[in-house]
Amino acid sequence: MPQNETVQDLQLDEYKYGFVDEEQHVFRTQPGLSEEVVRQISANKDEPAWMLDFRLKALEVYESKPMPTWGGDLSTLQETLDEIYFYVRPQDKMERSWDDVPANIKETFEKLGIPEAEQKVLAGVGAQYESEMVYHSLKQEWEDKGVIFDSIEDGLKNHPELFRKYFGTVIPTADNKFSAMNSAVWSGGSFVYIPPGVELETPLQAYFRVNQERMGQFERTLIIAGEGSRAHYIEGCTAPVYSTESFHSGVIEIVVEKGAHFRYTTIQNWSNNMYNLVTQRALVHEGATMEWLDGNLGSKLTMKYPSCYLIGEGAHGNILSIAYAGDGQHQDTGGKIIHAAPNTTSSIVSKSISKGTGRSSYRGLLQVHDGARNAKSNVECDALLIDENAKTDTYPYIEIDEKTAHIGHEATVSKVGDEQLFYLMSRGMSEEEAMALIVRGFIEPIAKLLPLEYAVELNRLIELEMEGSVG
Amino acid sequence: MSASTETTIALNEGVTEALSREAATARSAGEPEWMRERRVHAFDVYARTPMPTRRLEEWRYTDLGEKLDLASLSLGTRSEVADDPSAWPAGVRATMEEDWDAAAHVVLIDGTVVHVDLDEALAGKGVVVTSLRDAVNDEETWEDAKQYLATQAVKPERGKFAALNCALYLDGVYVYVPRGVHVDLPVRVTRWISTSAAAHFDRALILAGETSKVTYIDEVLSDDLDTHTFASNAIEVIAKDGASVQFVQMQRLGRNVFAHSQQRTLAHRDATANTLNVALGATTSRVDLNAQMLGPGSSSEMLGLYFGDGDQHFDHNTSQDHVSPHAFSDLLYKGALDGDAKAVFRGIIRVHPKAQQSDAYQTNRNLLLSETASADTLPNLEIAADDVKCSHGATVGQLDEESLFYLMSRGIPQEKAERLVVMGFLGEILLKVSLGGVIEKITREIERKLAHV
Amino acid sequence: MSDWIRVAALDDVPPGTLHGVKVERTAIVLANVDGDVYALRDRCSHADFPLHDGVLMGETLECVHHGAKFDVCSGKATGLPAIRPVQSYEVEVRDDDVFIRLG
Repeated sequence: MPQNETVQDLQLDEYKYGFVDEEQHVFRTQPGLSEEVVRQISANKDEPAWMLDFRLKALEVYESKPMPTWGGDLSTLQETLDEIYFYVRPQDKMERSWDDVPANIKETFEKLGIPEAEQKVLAGVGAQYESEMVYHSLKQEWEDKGVIFDSIEDGLKNHPELFRKYFGTVIPTADNKFSAMNSAVWSGGSFVYIPPGVELETPLQAYFRVNQERMGQFERTLIIAGEGSRAHYIEGCTAPVYSTESFHSGVIEIVVEKGAHFRYTTIQNWSNNMYNLVTQRALVHEGATMEWLDGNLGSKLTMKYPSCYLIGEGAHGNILSIAYAGDGQHQDTGGKIIHAAPNTTSSIVSKSISKGTGRSSYRGLLQVHDGARNAKSNVECDALLIDENAKTDTYPYIEIDEKTAHIGHEATVSKVGDEQLFYLMSRGMSEEEAMALIVRGFIEPIAKLLPLEYAVELNRLIELEMEGSVG
Repeated sequence: MSASTETTIALNEGVTEALSREAATARSAGEPEWMRERRVHAFDVYARTPMPTRRLEEWRYTDLGEKLDLASLSLGTRSEVADDPSAWPAGVRATMEEDWDAAAHVVLIDGTVVHVDLDEALAGKGVVVTSLRDAVNDEETWEDAKQYLATQAVKPERGKFAALNCALYLDGVYVYVPRGVHVDLPVRVTRWISTSAAAHFDRALILAGETSKVTYIDEVLSDDLDTHTFASNAIEVIAKDGASVQFVQMQRLGRNVFAHSQQRTLAHRDATANTLNVALGATTSRVDLNAQMLGPGSSSEMLGLYFGDGDQHFDHNTSQDHVSPHAFSDLLYKGALDGDAKAVFRGIIRVHPKAQQSDAYQTNRNLLLSETASADTLPNLEIAADDVKCSHGATVGQLDEESLFYLMSRGIPQEKAERLVVMGFLGEILLKVSLGGVIEKITREIERKLAHV
Repeated sequence: MSDWIRVAALDDVPPGTLHGVKVERTAIVLANVDGDVYALRDRCSHADFPLHDGVLMGETLECVHHGAKFDVCSGKATGLPAIRPVQSYEVEVRDDDVFIRLG
């Protein structure tokens, strides 16, 4: 660590991805959400009739559901929603080569390091700009093995049976207000199919960029990991800093078939004017493993609780959630694990830092159903507070209907420890320097991640983190 | 019509012929005007507060629609039982015979105080133990009663049922300990419920003056009743600067009773307000306990123990509010569930801004003894100060196989070994209290329940 | 075996609809599938909300609160987020009245 580094020098509060591109689009809907907007989105995508019906029904469900009163402050969200663009089409078609992507968009992703990372460490890359995937590419060797990695729109178009079999089954429209909204206006996101037995050695990455001011992004991702397959999917998100508020609401559905192993990593670094309300859920079959690595650094308010439904015997679920809430930010994150079959195991580890007026909340559900014999789960939450105005909350819900379950939950809240500080200061560091060192240690897994081409390295670090805490 | 008047909505949920504004007015017959106003105000709060549903976080796991039927209940009326043990139900005599060590006794039957005695020396020092009705009317006590009764601790604004209790309580217990006086032996209160198909309301106000000390043991019990019955109770503890209060509630009500106890302790500077809640009886048992660390240096140890069998449902809803810096609170609730029994624990530690150097802990542990028992536990934290030590933990599991195996390897039969392990698990709570007769009663009741395992 | 209890008139639950009733404080939802009446515990196994708020499509009841689906004939969960079944009860229609047995 360089001498005289302070917490500020860690640049957690300095947003490097806030640059703005010239605004360009080929189509956008009127601000706000209406039936007309939903019909326009569907028409723009040239969808089958059943999808338009699905969207219109979802709009009704969305309108019938009240705004949540728990979690973060959504009291002024409606005003934001009335002003944002729900659909902005940046170009006419999706490209398979960066050379064909319009220069301004391509430049953006170059600044974010995506093409470079693709070359070096990724099996495939999808890039979404505003409402549409502008680029999607999968290395030939994986395509040859039958892997599908495509935009969700192409998934619907090219694999209609597979698509319809799973779409909306893991997260039904009515699951919550924002899954209903997404179901009405979804656009972009990935369709992923890993055939049985195929093991991807390097990750797939999807990158989400919002450039337009007052923009709403609603990606929808459907992933099917076939029996005995193995894969890792990474998503990253950034946006320019505007004085107005933006909105992002994704729905991620994952089916992990028997014996498969799937990992989903999120590095969310939205600008601090973004509402980020996301529903992510995996259905985990017999002997399969699902891992959510959820890093939330950006946004104004994030509400996001990745979940694992362990429905097959011996299924395993892991959630590692790391949150950083700086001034004015609220990270309301956590995870849900449902043990619905015997011998299922799970672990949730949550680490958060609140600084300035930031607030981090852990919200989790751990459920063991009657008959899920010998289910084992452990939940650990650590919260670090760096200012007297910072806040942290822990809301674990633990519901156990099975005698043979073995369940533990522990949480601690601490400020940066006096003893640690004292020790470091006795070694000649200033208080600020010592503080920085301690915080760096706490957030190491994520701080290392930026810029994005280090995603894989981050992942290795997180893995190390998990090793110590699982089992 | 102005906007401000429009906000008052008359809902009248849970208002019945028996539980009505007229009943609240009738209850204040013979009471001073301020008390009548307080009851009527409380009833109005009750009537306009919606009936809690599962959509409310605090009632998420207890469905009042299925567990409580206010419309089927009459309002409990004054018991005419004489101040004479031979006239009391056998259950009251039996439990009182097992008590030893008491500074005072109070006996309530269906919410009516039928007996009070107090050590003369303590009375000489200014200690007051009396019925709440008398406290409200007596010139020596009414000013304190007026200041504290349902105004600071369990006031109507705390919620629908706090309001209902204030409006309709029949009687209760008033304890006052003057500054500096130590009441070394416990005040023992025995509350008996005998009339079924009724709603019974009583309450207690415990006022501990500066640096005083008092222990209050509240035992509530009944036989198994033939029909649905509601027993509502409110406990207000005010520990002034440097005072020390220990409150113990032992709930051994019979089946068909919905027992609801709403408790709040206010600990001022350097004061201690400790509680122990033991829930063994009733079909549904709900305890709302809020501990307020109001002054610097205040502390609260909060213990709980429950054992459920059959279709019993226990719901403990606790909160620890650290309002001032340098305060301490430590909660430990442990329970075992057999049969189809269900336990809910929802606890929250709130460290308010500027409550630096708070130490706050919270632990809930559950033992499931049968295939159909269940436990939901929600240990929450809300921390808005950085210089704190806070932690919480929760566990749900079955009997410790290793301990069982060890005991059985020493020749103890499995059944007995299981009972020993359960007693060992719950015993951690009992080791922390030593109050004449309390442990013995609890232990025997648990053993009786375990005999059916 | 418990007794048959009259819980509703057949007219209260026309074909294709749901109807909530209470029996001894237990909430029950009746579902009429083309003239055959089924009874389930009126409480979604996912988050305990009343099922009678939902919609009936053929033999499938969809909970309006979070989109869970159930087979009304058996109580079996057929769509996430529900996994557990809800309790089902025996039903008899005698003349114009619906009877159930809590069992």
